[in-house]
Amino acid sequence: MNEIEQTGLATMRDCWITGGTSFELAPATWKEFAAGASPDERERRLLAIAAQALEIALRPAAPKTLKRRPPLPELALPMLPERLRPLLRAALKHAADARGKSRVVALVASRGFVLHPMDWMPAASDQTSPDVYAPWIDWQAGVDGEKHTSREQLTAENWDEFYPAARRSALADMRRTAPAVARQLIETKGSSEPAEIRLALIALMHFGLGAGDVPFLKSLSADRSGKVRELAGRMLARLGEHGQPGDGGLEDPTTELAAFITEGKSGFIRRRTTYAPAKLKSPAQERRRAELFETCNLVDLAARFGVTETDFIGAWQFGADNNVDILVSRMVAASGSDTAVTHMADTLAAEGGKPAPFVLHLMPRLDSRRQRDLIRLILKDTHYLGALSLAEGVEAGWLDWADLTNGKTLPALCAAVAGNDEAAKRGADQLLETLGFFATAAAAEKLIGDVVAAGMAPAAPSLGLLRLNASLAGP
Amino acid sequence: MEFDLNTIEALAPDQASLSAASKLTRQSNWPRLEKNEELALVWGECQGSGSNPYRVVVDTGDHGYKCTCPSRKFPCKHTLALMWIAATAPASFTAAGSAPEWVNDWLGRRRKTTSPPAVPTPGAAGKSIGEASLDDESATVEDAAAIERREAAQRKRVEDTRSSVAAALDELDQWISDQLRLGLAGFVDNSSDRCRRIAARLVDMKATALAGRIDEIPSRLMGLRSEERPDAAIRELGKLVLLAKAWRQTPDDAELRRLVSTSESREQVLANPDAIQVESLWEVLGEKIETRRDGLVSHSTWLLDLKSAAPRFALLLDYFPASAGRRSNAFTPGDRFVARLVFYPARQPLRALVAERRGDVSSGQWPDFSFGAADPLAAHVAHQDTAPWLTDCPVLLPPGAILLDDRGDAWWQSTDDPHGIALPIADAVNPTLLGLDLAATAALWSGSRLHLLAAQSGFGRLDLS
Repeated sequence: MNEIEQTGLATMRDCWITGGTSFELAPATWKEFAAGASPDERERRLLAIAAQALEIALRPAAPKTLKRRPPLPELALPMLPERLRPLLRAALKHAADARGKSRVVALVASRGFVLHPMDWMPAASDQTSPDVYAPWIDWQAGVDGEKHTSREQLTAENWDEFYPAARRSALADMRRTAPAVARQLIETKGSSEPAEIRLALIALMHFGLGAGDVPFLKSLSADRSGKVRELAGRMLARLGEHGQPGDGGLEDPTTELAAFITEGKSGFIRRRTTYAPAKLKSPAQERRRAELFETCNLVDLAARFGVTETDFIGAWQFGADNNVDILVSRMVAASGSDTAVTHMADTLAAEGGKPAPFVLHLMPRLDSRRQRDLIRLILKDTHYLGALSLAEGVEAGWLDWADLTNGKTLPALCAAVAGNDEAAKRGADQLLETLGFFATAAAAEKLIGDVVAAGMAPAAPSLGLLRLNASLAGP
Repeated sequence: MEFDLNTIEALAPDQASLSAASKLTRQSNWPRLEKNEELALVWGECQGSGSNPYRVVVDTGDHGYKCTCPSRKFPCKHTLALMWIAATAPASFTAAGSAPEWVNDWLGRRRKTTSPPAVPTPGAAGKSIGEASLDDESATVEDAAAIERREAAQRKRVEDTRSSVAAALDELDQWISDQLRLGLAGFVDNSSDRCRRIAARLVDMKATALAGRIDEIPSRLMGLRSEERPDAAIRELGKLVLLAKAWRQTPDDAELRRLVSTSESREQVLANPDAIQVESLWEVLGEKIETRRDGLVSHSTWLLDLKSAAPRFALLLDYFPASAGRRSNAFTPGDRFVARLVFYPARQPLRALVAERRGDVSSGQWPDFSFGAADPLAAHVAHQDTAPWLTDCPVLLPPGAILLDDRGDAWWQSTDDPHGIALPIADAVNPTLLGLDLAATAALWSGSRLHLLAAQSGFGRLDLS
């Protein structure tokens, strides 16, 4: 289309928009096609020519500022084979929440694969996905600079060359092998980061936390961010360091919490001290007690009663009030020393029965052996199977068939599947999903066979993760 | 297999269903028949009267079933036919190791009933498998005079339709002139009412297909930014003028008749010696199931020929009433199969029927199509040269990427020509796509927007429909 035609088209277009005849405005070459017809027909012919000119000769005007995102980085693990993607999508679709989806992701990563980016992408704020996804998290964060993720050792000099997720991953690795070096890096570079990033960096000190970290953590008591001060206080408590000494008056949170706990004695021959939740008068008091358990540290509370952490845990009357037991477990998980945490886990696991599920709150702090032992115990006992879905920080794909058959779990599961109790069926669905994450590929396959034989629809969505697990058996 | 003919007789809603089912028991109607005895399932894909096959699955244990056809009879003739084949020719079913995704989807949604299967439905009496089997043989023989009368009546109907459509196009011409005189700004603002009125007139005057197209103009305009709508209105109305003129010149042209009044039947297309037939390996690019303003749902499946040197596409298109409920997909994007397709005769053959489907093929990369032309819309230009009334055109775009403008709208741009042409994308894109290099992209170009179907990238095939 030449310039005359373009100008003519523009004026005809303006004329038609407001209404009227455009014949006189048309380019001469176009008029030839329309001349000799009735006025209406002339306009229609010109309209047809204009339509084709717009269709063929003109293209949408591209904006000058089209932004290109950096290419999505390739990850260190291979992509899940194409044939398994339908199974994966089914498992992801069935996962009710982000935690369920992250279990699917963790299971696949544990078998040496990553997901296709169109099936799942970590969020920019993701801090729980397997480390292999760090480049995608950084890509999602949308840092548009030229820098690229380096595979070199992280140092103060190349700190800025790492994207945040890659830096977190490198620091976590470093904390496991050289905690002092990592701490120095966090100390040197963290102070210039915003509070949110500073908090995430200091949280990494969970890995390899030791006495050498105390001076730095104490120095954080003057940090600008309240969340950072609170986190540092929790970490110090884990190391047995007491928080800011209170005045012992009613204003002191630990003293206030201690007032909500009843100290008693039990035993006829050997009198021993017990601690139990005090009976409160109002829901407001119960809410306040819950808040205090969230903020106080175990070491301070035990000291308020003049005992050690392990003595306090040993004397706590688990089973008296489920809600308060959970609060105690969470306090121990957040601020208890490693010794206190393992003591509580071992004690409750040894007792078995009702209190054991509370230990699930301690899972992220337990070593892999204790985690597995505890889950095996719950499976054997079957009373609290539903609580298994709460277990956090547990590895994927280790539960053997023998662990499942060593107790009442499998018969109970099959009975729920075969029965007509809808609530029991829902419980079975949830358990199957959880087991889909814990089980080995062989155990997953056998479990599918057993529940299908018991009457479950072979393609039931709750078997999705088990099916994916079984199909990831190996090459 | 736990079927016998008595069970099927009991399940059938009426004798007509049984009779219809008996005609579908020929294996040629079923490009896919599979079973999994462990899952107690049989399933198949039936090439019915539509372009897209119907997917049927039956639980042989409790006689539960699902078919993707829009029939309101339960079970439908396709389900009954599948059961019939299972009962009489179980060897026709290939044993499958696992159920396909669409079967799994159905299983995941359904709850197994505990009630005994195959309870005869009310009104089951009077149905007979034997009678259904005899239907074919009992066709009456028409005498020559009756045939002559019928053909004469048919010729008169054709002539009446032609006169009526010609009058409809005259009315359309006048309507277009009125829109130009009143101003396209007003037309854009009131396009919904104005298009509805002329569309209703065209339906009355037997220009049904044209009416459906005009009914969709408002939604096509509203999908654009306000400053683009007048140009789009010029394009839409100008194409109608061209189509009307073309029809007046050759009212018997099959393509034009299809676009203006009614489409030929499946049987007519299959019997047409001029219809192009292509046997090849086809990949399902994607599907679009859209409810139209005239109460019909259009079900489009786009296929790509993987064996042709230049990109060749096919469209399987069906319409069914929206009142029939949501239609399930007929294919899974990425499916590949060997099939013989018969194209509806047209200047740019695109709409097709699956005449024969041979077997499924595992998926993989697209062949290395040569992207010789500098203009990524060269195929669209070629379509417009021969059939300027067409709107959507499938294109295969060369290596490129998706970029965002300042408003956050997505554009496709060629890798080799970053400062040249960029094509705006109709819908919001998955943000992950912005980080992928696209080796080739299949899309529909509507004249103003790109509707993505599928792409090949370093991460394999991407389903974008």
